[in-house]
Amino acid sequence: MLEIRNLTKIYDDGTVALRDVSFDIPDGEFLVIIGLSGSGKSTLLRCINRLIDPTEGQIIWNGIDIAKLEGQDLRNVRRKIGMVFQQFNLVKRSSVLMNVMAGRLGYAPTWRSITGRFDEADKQRAINAMKRMGITDQANKRADELSGGQQQRVGIARALMQEPEIILADEPVASLDPVLAHSILQHLESLNKDDGMTILCSLHYLDLVQRYSTSVIGLREGRVVYQGNKQQIMRMTDAEFKTIYGEEAERMGGITGEIAEQDITAAGEEIEL
Amino acid sequence: MKPKPNTSEEKPSLVPPFVALILSLILPGLGHILARKYRKGLTLLLAFLSAAGLWIWRVTVVARREVGFAAMFTKAIRLEPILILIFVLLVLMYILIALDAYKSAHISKPNSLLLWVTVLVAFFVLGWQIGEIQPAVLIRNGKNSLPLLMRVLWPWEKAVYYPEELLIGSADVVIPCAGVELETPKLEADAPYLTVDPTCGDLSEIGGKEGTRLKVTGGNFSPNTETEIWWVDQVRNEFRYRYGGDYVKVTTDDNGSFQLDVVIPYRVIPTQGEKGYVVWQLEARQVASIGKPVISEELKLSVEKMVETIFLGMMSTFFGVILSIPISFLASRNLMSANWFTKTIYMIIRTILNIVRSIESLVWAVIAIIAVGLGPFAGILALTIHSIAALGKLYSEAIESIDHGPVEAIQATGANWLQTVWYAVIPQIIPPFVSFTIYRWDINVRMSTVIGMVGGGGIGYLLIQWIRLLDYQSAGIAIWFIAITVAILDYVSSEIRERFI
Ligand SMILES: Nc1ncnc2c1ncn2[C@@H]1O[C@H](COP(=O)(O)OP(=O)(O)OP(=O)(O)O)[C@@H](O)[C@H]1O
Ligand SMILES: [Mg+2]
Repeated sequence: MLEIRNLTKIYDDGTVALRDVSFDIPDGEFLVIIGLSGSGKSTLLRCINRLIDPTEGQIIWNGIDIAKLEGQDLRNVRRKIGMVFQQFNLVKRSSVLMNVMAGRLGYAPTWRSITGRFDEADKQRAINAMKRMGITDQANKRADELSGGQQQRVGIARALMQEPEIILADEPVASLDPVLAHSILQHLESLNKDDGMTILCSLHYLDLVQRYSTSVIGLREGRVVYQGNKQQIMRMTDAEFKTIYGEEAERMGGITGEIAEQDITAAGEEIEL
Repeated sequence: MKPKPNTSEEKPSLVPPFVALILSLILPGLGHILARKYRKGLTLLLAFLSAAGLWIWRVTVVARREVGFAAMFTKAIRLEPILILIFVLLVLMYILIALDAYKSAHISKPNSLLLWVTVLVAFFVLGWQIGEIQPAVLIRNGKNSLPLLMRVLWPWEKAVYYPEELLIGSADVVIPCAGVELETPKLEADAPYLTVDPTCGDLSEIGGKEGTRLKVTGGNFSPNTETEIWWVDQVRNEFRYRYGGDYVKVTTDDNGSFQLDVVIPYRVIPTQGEKGYVVWQLEARQVASIGKPVISEELKLSVEKMVETIFLGMMSTFFGVILSIPISFLASRNLMSANWFTKTIYMIIRTILNIVRSIESLVWAVIAIIAVGLGPFAGILALTIHSIAALGKLYSEAIESIDHGPVEAIQATGANWLQTVWYAVIPQIIPPFVSFTIYRWDINVRMSTVIGMVGGGGIGYLLIQWIRLLDYQSAGIAIWFIAITVAILDYVSSEIRERFI
């Protein structure tokens, strides 16, 4: 169980990106975070593995407050939380294999990892991870020679090397076409269902949200404005969607086009904070 | 006067235009200041004062020996008529400033183009005089210095030379024939020799009878070489043999032999000694190059110092790179913004790098020479210091411009600082680092050719020495080597760059 308690983030320039955000994520959940651009999705995800230091609040995981950790303790928690990025964030000039191996750095002794001597178990993990993501053939290519979909699979393989309990995915499919998007999300779904990993994922397309999520959080201007479970998501209407995305927002994604025609008066389970 | 509402200078002048004019005549610029054109007034004041000051300075420099300014002035304008022109421009400036002050107090934005052009022209004419620019000298002296220049441009006669030897064969001639038998000197087998037949005879008489004609045979000389014929008389007086007014020359054949008829010349000095005869020597002389061409000392020195120069550039680049890499990490904002402590280190290192970089390598060389004495080590130190500062900045800028995404991704895996740098930063900075390193190597070799001029080792030391000794040919050799090295370096570095990036 990951518990977010009164999380607030104010950037140095005074931007309030998160305002008193609180919610719980039970283990094994596929939680999707939706919200307009600038609503604080990335900020929230990055606070959880402390790429960003929250200004206030707690992130309690297995009884410890991640928000207070420093140094080695923080790194030990980080290595149990994988992260997948919209821009993949691979080291472009390194090989696919090196990018995947980098996922193991949190476990490897500094000196050994710098001299490139990973132990056999780690090498086997890399082979398995690449096999699972279907990128074994690309192992020795430079990362920037791969297509976007392949790069994102390398990104997931890197996260798999951490043997994580949680995966944070910040718009993992926003740079990909719909077919690839489904393929990537299916991989995440498999990690969620087959391996029991908790997934926190931000998405923009309602159809993808409805297809993959087990619960949804809606953010608007740093506040949680919507919380829903699987059934509620399936019934989500345009009106609710617009509450989250703002009146001017168009629904994206052709598959759910018919829903866009619906009446916008129906109110859902939204909560206003 | 009408205040203009939509210009920035709406406030009216403090003084009426006429007063501004008078004030400006007392002190140029003052009128503008009181017309609330503060910046313009100050600029004009400074411009006028410095132009006038410079002019006075030049007058006193040109007419140094005169006493009193009037005398100096007349002398100076006689020697350097351009000073009159500057004086006229100063007066014009003075008047224009005053007129402009009048206008400025009157309207808010007068057209001051003529004034500014005058100020500019005055300064450029001053610059012309201070720089002692004399195109005529370039044209006049340029022609005369062409032979010198040729020696610099084509110095190779001094690079290789053929050692030469004076070969002399001689034979005694008794004058007049007195029946004396002279001993024939014993010669080494292959030494040049000369025989005469007969071995005695009479001198020519002035305007009269020709002297005895001797058949002269020479051998063992160097082949196909011009040979001179000389007489040495009884008082060791040497004179070159002429016949019919012309010096006689003979060229040896393929075997180094020659044959020639020589008429005993006339002499004023009486030939009769106590013995009744004198002995003269007939000599055949030739200057012959012997042996192989020899490489001159200058060429050897140039080669040695060129090698020293190249290694000087190489070593300083090497040390510079090694030392600047760790420094560059400490000097990049993105890696050092974790807390106030690292931020302070970043600030301090950045400041030091900027200061060190702004001091030229040649100045560092002088400082290094004080510390470690003349020689290549001083040069290496100087170039290393400058390289560290320059590369430290370039490298750290490369680090700052990396894509931060992979850094975050690696951090998110639980990697520590060193691992993050190694896996996410280093792969991104290798291409810019390689290109900056080659660039610096290029600069360092170029710099090392001149760093010797202040005593920091390398070929520059020779060059400046030879120029001071007016040995332009040797200097030419050094310059050629520098040019060749730099050309090769240019080629090599562009090749490497292409391969790598
Ligand atoms: N480093 C930062 N410094 C200052 N303000 C920031 C910084 N990063 C984000 N913000 C601001 O914080 C707010 C939330 O940003 P965030 O990136 O979390 O939004 P998001 O929901 O991820 O948007 P998107 O969908 O465009 O990725 C925005 O107003 C943004 O401008
Ligand atoms: Mg975002």
